[in-house]
Amino acid sequence: MGHFLFFLLAIICVGSVLGMIISKNQAYNALLLVLAFASLGGLFGLLDAPFIATVQIIIYAGAIMVLFIFVIMMINLRLGLPPEKKKWTLYFSLGVAVVLIVELILSVKGAFSLFENSSMEKIGGPTDLGRLLFTKYLYPFEITSILIIAALVGAIVLVKKKEKE
Amino acid sequence: MNSFLALFPLLIIVFAALLVLILEVFIKKENRNYLAYVSLFFLIICGIICGKFWDKDYSYFDGYLFLDNFSIFLSFIIIITTFFVILLSMKYIFLQDVNYGEFYSLLLFALSGMMIMVSSGDFLVIFLGLEVLSISSYALAGLRIKDEKSSEAAIKYFLLGSFASAFFIYGLALLYGASHSTEILSIIDYFKSETSLSLMALIGLGLVIIGFGFKIAVVPFHMWTPDVYEGAPTPITAFFSVGPKAAGFAVLLRIFYPYWKVALNSQAIFWLLCIISVLTMVVGNFVALRQTNVKRILAYSSIAHAGYLLIAILAQDNTSLVFYLTVYLFMNIGAFAAVIALGKKDREYLELEDYAGVGFKYPWIGATFAVFLFSLAGFPPTGGFLAKFYVFVGAVRQGLVPLVIIGVLASLVSVFYYLRIIVYMYMREPSTEIEIYIENPALFLVLFLCLYGVLQLGLFPGNILILVQQAVSSLPLF
Repeated sequence: MGHFLFFLLAIICVGSVLGMIISKNQAYNALLLVLAFASLGGLFGLLDAPFIATVQIIIYAGAIMVLFIFVIMMINLRLGLPPEKKKWTLYFSLGVAVVLIVELILSVKGAFSLFENSSMEKIGGPTDLGRLLFTKYLYPFEITSILIIAALVGAIVLVKKKEKE
Repeated sequence: MNSFLALFPLLIIVFAALLVLILEVFIKKENRNYLAYVSLFFLIICGIICGKFWDKDYSYFDGYLFLDNFSIFLSFIIIITTFFVILLSMKYIFLQDVNYGEFYSLLLFALSGMMIMVSSGDFLVIFLGLEVLSISSYALAGLRIKDEKSSEAAIKYFLLGSFASAFFIYGLALLYGASHSTEILSIIDYFKSETSLSLMALIGLGLVIIGFGFKIAVVPFHMWTPDVYEGAPTPITAFFSVGPKAAGFAVLLRIFYPYWKVALNSQAIFWLLCIISVLTMVVGNFVALRQTNVKRILAYSSIAHAGYLLIAILAQDNTSLVFYLTVYLFMNIGAFAAVIALGKKDREYLELEDYAGVGFKYPWIGATFAVFLFSLAGFPPTGGFLAKFYVFVGAVRQGLVPLVIIGVLASLVSVFYYLRIIVYMYMREPSTEIEIYIENPALFLVLFLCLYGVLQLGLFPGNILILVQQAVSSLPLF
């Protein structure tokens, strides 16, 4: 069952990312990206990391996607510009792709040995995370609140209407 | 000593920022100066408390936050910077249409970010401090909403700043992967214990340097500097040119002071920094020759100064580095104060042509500006001369003679463009009369204090040097 689900989710994920790259319609791109993120969330679930799975769906499929869709809506590009066909970019991207494939193969080979002697540790549960955030990482956690308020103030002051003279 | 007190200076600044934000709602637009007074009041309190903590060595949160003498001294530098910048802004925001209550609040947030950066030895906290500083800076750069250049500055700063943060965080991830820690000292410890060349950690450290390179504006990563400095409101430009630079160099010092003791892995990083330093001095000074906008000239000059400061990092000469930063604060803020002084309602005079004849028409502004420019160029008896002198002597002692030769030659080149402004002020007939808004006591206070600072540090630097030495000796080695 686990294997079946894994391959199902993996195929959906890779397929939707491929579709996203190939499709020229921005709205489809965004929706396919949601599908990819959701299936990634499912994969995390299979790895016994329910919290990361949930966060993956809430943050990526929820927040970030909404942002993308807003941008698409506001900029309102019907069809993207036709891609520029330059020789050297093609060769360059081919080179990068080859490097990445080699790296992928090497890392998968390295990972197999890890699979055999890994003790299935349960990581990333909400309890552990919360405990760490409020003990060891309390100071960075609190700084984040300053960061967020600074970002809010900055964003609001830049977009708010001009004050009446 | 582990004590809750270590949080106090930071809490005061954040409290002041929030208070200003709330008060802004209740205070009428014409009375915005009260917000400045409130901010100044809290800055003074914070400064006094920092002074009280000297030699106390408080720390909290298991070493995420410590107030050793070094952090206190650097906090002083950035608090004084913010103090001056607020004084400079009090009239400016009315004249140049940046009259937003959030102005002071964002400045204080940026200050808190820098204080977080200088008072921690953990990359995670430093990163968050850097982000608090950067996010507030992006908004500050774009505050002149009606001016396209200001918006351009904000966008450019935002894009390149995010880019820099990405570099930094990627490098940090690699360092964490190699050494299983985000603490600077443990990472250095890892470098020490490693017997073979650890590529992952080296690349990580390189990326961290690149991330900081953007912030302190050293040469391959300086592209944003002139545009952002030109477009941002001038007091904010003064702030950018001193504050983030001081904080960035403080962190670099924390990394490299222990790092140079690790002989095995340090060669690659040493050469990387050497190349960056040489490029920064050469490009910064030569490009400045062709500028006609005073703000851009000062932008390139601040790039060049980052190059001299890097020499001090390479020479492991911490005292002169911190001394240089102190002098740099006074001379650079002073120079920008003079630039800000030359403005009236909705108009700033920034082109070299506008400066013709200023020296005789406004003798005080002209004379102090000339002193600051002499100091930036490194003439005795100003502080700028001693600062450069100490850095170069320290480097010669460490055997970095080629670097020093390039540095001296580069600063000779810099004399040309600094003196050019003075020549315009005193030896050119003005083609158009400029009118400036002269009733600005806060600005003249800043001019006077900076003049005092530059001359005091140039003639009698003894007391400050003792403080700097005490500050630097508190840096943890292992």
